[in-house]
Amino acid sequence: MRNAFRLRTLLLIVLPVLFFIPIYWTFVIAVGYHGAAYHLPPVWTPLFHWGPIIYVLTHTHWPRYVFNTVGITAATIVLVLFTSALAGYALAEIPFKGHSLYFLLVIGVMMLPQQALLVPQYVVLFHLHMLNTYAAMVIPFAANSSSIFLFRQFFKKIPVSFHEIARIEGVSTLRYIFRVAMPLAKPAVATSVLLTFIAAWNQFQWPLIMTNSPQIQPIELALSHYMQTYEANWRELASAALIALSPILIVFAFTQKHIVQAVAGGDLNAKD
Amino acid sequence: MAQARSLTQNPPQSASAARSDSWGTRIKTSILGYGLILPSLLVFLTFFYGPAIFLAYIAFFHWNIFSANSTFVGLGNFLKLFHQPVFWQSLLNTAYYVVVLVPVTALLALALALLLREGLSRRGGGISRAFIFLPHVTPVVATSIIWVWIFNPQFGLANTVLHFLHLPALNWLESVHWALPSVMVYTLWHSVGLYTVLFLAGLASIPRSVIEAATTDGAHGWRMFKRVFWPMLGPITFFVVVLASINTMQTFSQIYTLTGGPHGGAGGPAFSTTTDSLLIYQTAFLYLHFSLASAMSIILFILIMTLTLIQKWVADRFVFYR
Repeated sequence: MRNAFRLRTLLLIVLPVLFFIPIYWTFVIAVGYHGAAYHLPPVWTPLFHWGPIIYVLTHTHWPRYVFNTVGITAATIVLVLFTSALAGYALAEIPFKGHSLYFLLVIGVMMLPQQALLVPQYVVLFHLHMLNTYAAMVIPFAANSSSIFLFRQFFKKIPVSFHEIARIEGVSTLRYIFRVAMPLAKPAVATSVLLTFIAAWNQFQWPLIMTNSPQIQPIELALSHYMQTYEANWRELASAALIALSPILIVFAFTQKHIVQAVAGGDLNAKD
Repeated sequence: MAQARSLTQNPPQSASAARSDSWGTRIKTSILGYGLILPSLLVFLTFFYGPAIFLAYIAFFHWNIFSANSTFVGLGNFLKLFHQPVFWQSLLNTAYYVVVLVPVTALLALALALLLREGLSRRGGGISRAFIFLPHVTPVVATSIIWVWIFNPQFGLANTVLHFLHLPALNWLESVHWALPSVMVYTLWHSVGLYTVLFLAGLASIPRSVIEAATTDGAHGWRMFKRVFWPMLGPITFFVVVLASINTMQTFSQIYTLTGGPHGGAGGPAFSTTTDSLLIYQTAFLYLHFSLASAMSIILFILIMTLTLIQKWVADRFVFYR
């Protein structure tokens, strides 16, 4: 009994460490000495040589890629919030004709297999003259089913009287959505922002297919090209990977509880 | 709040609409509704439903993106596809990848969830969960880079571990037999946290009274798992297996990154890691055979849609039945 308890405690400490080793290792190699990646037995402690990271940030096009990714991510988040709040409000409050058809369309998007759609999506972007533009990276992801459902769910909880008062006071619907309803749906906003941030920041296959100019490439794509050109430069490669990883790690460190629960779709702690 | 809402159940009817039901107001309400859904609807139609319909068109035509004329070839593209050995190889690789990876992922996720369930009530339990989940949110290329190094036959951590366990060293990504299993190891690391968290949600939905009753009756450990957790988790297990199948069938980024070194294109060595989604990508965007790639896409589409419908059906009926 007691041994089983000890074993479980041990596993609860060891397993998370094992999962974290690859990320820790990226850091160790990036800030280690030259050739540390080839050292046997492996060196386990970081040496804090920031040279390679500074080199990547100042002597390569990396700032441009970071700028691209930040811009694409920020624009996607803003647009997702905008479209989801509008659509979520329509689904929650407005009995327009075709309401249930639209509801089905929103669910349906989640079920389409992404890998099978890339070829026709490329053709559509080709004909819209959107290939190789920032718009191609943002607009297709400017609406998101799960965010729409999230907002719908939260807007449904707002008492009808709120809307009534706003209507009597002569507040327009748009003003009501963005000034009254959205601030009351903060958890929906937070979840949408976090999940969109992760998805947009980690985009790889889409830009790989839809862009070919380095000017608008996001970090992940640049990393992939970088990797194929400089495979032997482990320190530079690890530094570049670390630059791509850090924003995700920092955001996750502060919001992990929220992210995990958003992904699991509910509370993870047992209730009575 | 609940009382206020009970007045306005499905289908949604705002108080104003319920009161003044005149024809004019209804038109106005509908126009407002259309205005609000327009931005998202346009995105969905242009970039998802439009392409989905267009896919069927390209697959049945001999068609080229750079020329305007296209000829109807019926099932010609599919027949051509069936004569390509690499197509069958890719199906086989995908099947191997899914059939091995999905059960392993589901079992490990279940084990981790059971472990974490007890850990969560203790101090630091949430941190354990966070570390196991973290890889799932990391960018695939950035983390694949370090795994390429881990799988390096000379200096990598993987062979160091094998050496420590007195096992023979492997060539990992450079070996025809071990390249796909290496990708599986990466994918397991990257995604098991997601399914663990889903299992945790399933465990949390088991009423505490049931667990307490079982504990009072002396159930513990394996008996507890067999008699209480396993039957109660049945639906979510099925859900996880189907979801993992859908996701693993569409694996692309890690295969592209892990196997696409400077020495050759992704999918090697000798097509041993060429899965369906990689082959679609290469056929369309490297060799510009859009019609062939569309025929492949249709096959993948049908396979995954079938799985998705099963998953949706299960999720709607049994999962999260709180």
